[in-house]
Amino acid sequence: MTALDFISVRKTFGPNVALEGLDLDVKDGELITLLGPSGCGKTTALRIAAGFEFADSGAVLVGGADITRTPAHKRNMGMVFQSYSLFPNLTVANNIDFGLRTRKMHAADRHRRVGEMLELVELTKFADRYPHQLSGGQQQRVALARALAIQPRVLLLDEPLSALDAKVRTSLRDEIRRIQTEVGITTLFVTHDQEEALAISDRVCVMSQGNLEQLGTPTDVYRHPKTAFVARFVGSMNELPAEALGSGEVSVLDQRFAVPKAAKATTGERLHLLVRPEDLSLTTDGGFAGTVTSVTFQGASTLVGVRLDVLDRLVSVDVGQGAADHLSIGDRTAVVVDGSSAVCETV
Amino acid sequence: MMPGSSIGQMEINAAIADELLNTAPVGYVPPSAGKPRTRWARVFPALVLLLHALFFLAPLLTLARYSLQNVPAFLLGRETLFKKWSLKPLTMAFDHPSFGPALKLSLQLAVGTVAVTLLLLVPTAIWVHLRVPKARAMVEFFTVLPYMIPAIALVAGIIVIKPHARWFLNSDFSLIPFYVVLSLPFTYRSIDAGLRAIDLKTLVDASRSLGRGWAGTVLKVVIPNLRTSMISVSFLTAAVVIGEFTIADTLLKETLPRFQATFVGREPQAGYALNLLALLATTALFLLLSVLTRKRNPKRKTFEHRSAQLAAKGDLSS
Repeated sequence: MTALDFISVRKTFGPNVALEGLDLDVKDGELITLLGPSGCGKTTALRIAAGFEFADSGAVLVGGADITRTPAHKRNMGMVFQSYSLFPNLTVANNIDFGLRTRKMHAADRHRRVGEMLELVELTKFADRYPHQLSGGQQQRVALARALAIQPRVLLLDEPLSALDAKVRTSLRDEIRRIQTEVGITTLFVTHDQEEALAISDRVCVMSQGNLEQLGTPTDVYRHPKTAFVARFVGSMNELPAEALGSGEVSVLDQRFAVPKAAKATTGERLHLLVRPEDLSLTTDGGFAGTVTSVTFQGASTLVGVRLDVLDRLVSVDVGQGAADHLSIGDRTAVVVDGSSAVCETV
Repeated sequence: MMPGSSIGQMEINAAIADELLNTAPVGYVPPSAGKPRTRWARVFPALVLLLHALFFLAPLLTLARYSLQNVPAFLLGRETLFKKWSLKPLTMAFDHPSFGPALKLSLQLAVGTVAVTLLLLVPTAIWVHLRVPKARAMVEFFTVLPYMIPAIALVAGIIVIKPHARWFLNSDFSLIPFYVVLSLPFTYRSIDAGLRAIDLKTLVDASRSLGRGWAGTVLKVVIPNLRTSMISVSFLTAAVVIGEFTIADTLLKETLPRFQATFVGREPQAGYALNLLALLATTALFLLLSVLTRKRNPKRKTFEHRSAQLAAKGDLSS
């Protein structure tokens, strides 16, 4: 069942188009991430869902009910902001209680709910602290508890991890996912961090210039990007100049590759071949010869930078653990391309 | 490589982060912490404080001697420092039949001006911050105008409108709008600074997403977080009202400063004693201000205490 629906939502700010007819359905209990660069319209979409902005045209439905013109305070949406947004004059417990008080719940029920929420985010012993007495991670967990306390129909998360340092960010990301799964709440998550989006989401909605570029599972979006923009934005890409040979084949200089996504390209068409670093491999025999320019250890794998002789182009090759131990800058090597997942862009 | 961590790495990250998350933040440590302070660095702040205290106390002490010592002014010296002190000049002012009504009127005007100022400025400043942030500089400029335009110009304006607005100017409370304008340079800036200190837009959005309408948001979220600014505004406005003479004199209103001016002419020593008292009262107001703005509610019940109370009543059994 669809919990949140955007139907052809368009929004402009003066001459700038923030959303160009967004169509998106978020299923019950699903976590969808709106991913894109600054200015792509992802936050606008979230704010329209929250009721802080109204769409110029189109509709927003929650559980089938049209809320396009419903004011924010009547929507029952829980929202977590980038900048924590805890009320500085209230303690942690009172912050969580804020929305419950608004709903005029009985004092004992409110108190019980606050206790449950504190337990959920594991901050019971911080109940009487003020926001300024908490770390950023703790504040964001309180904000999450406060948003969930009102049992919202949809949870909206506006870059909630951006202001945190790397370690806390990873931990809180996993915690948000745990809580979201535990509570089973429909969630719309906004981020510009592709790693965060791929790690946390059921589905990822990649946006660019107010348009939805691709909606799919993290694996889909990463392994099978539909557009060159998605390919470039999600993960890193190497670009090689190529020419279509027809029947799903392309050539890069004198080498031919099977590239299924080039099947529709006309013979002789000039293309950009976009290949992931993990779809390139190093060899001593065949491929494009080049010189190692960098070796970057990344823990589970190593990224090797190679300047190709013939194309005078720098490419990144992702090699497995230990595979680059013998390599050093200046070594001669060769790069082999696997075009099965490559994306083609017409020049 | 597919972004994301392996399960083992995730667990390690989670454990480290959990420790970080559950550790109370360490208080702010200034960059100079740990470095030994030089003698000059220790003495300098005390010296500055002493100079300020002298600047403030010396005129007060001189005024106190002139008004409360029954010694002719030309004999006031070191040898007469402890001679013939008396509080009688103060009581002379209190005993004057016009003092009570003048004080009452000034206090009423102060309360009225504070109320109008807050009712006018708080919503305006919130609106400017939320809806027209680009107009902030312009609004600030207008609020500073009373600083730049001399009071005499305002008085000239009053004289011009006087024949057409007698119905209004006849009332003692007609001074309130003028005092609101006069205190604008202090009051608007104080509210503006208070709003800049909080993340107003996000707090308002958070409150609305939790179910509060605009009025509830302003009352329950914005105003409690503007408490310090609003207390400052109240005291600053009161200080302006209690010290303002020019406009009250033009409109012939018997306020405290006007009483003081005429009283000083008749009874110089008692008049200055009253001035001294007014200065001390203003100082006391500002001290009270600094105490009030720092105070937290010590009787606030803890969450645990509240749990125990509700459990005792049997309300917490699920």
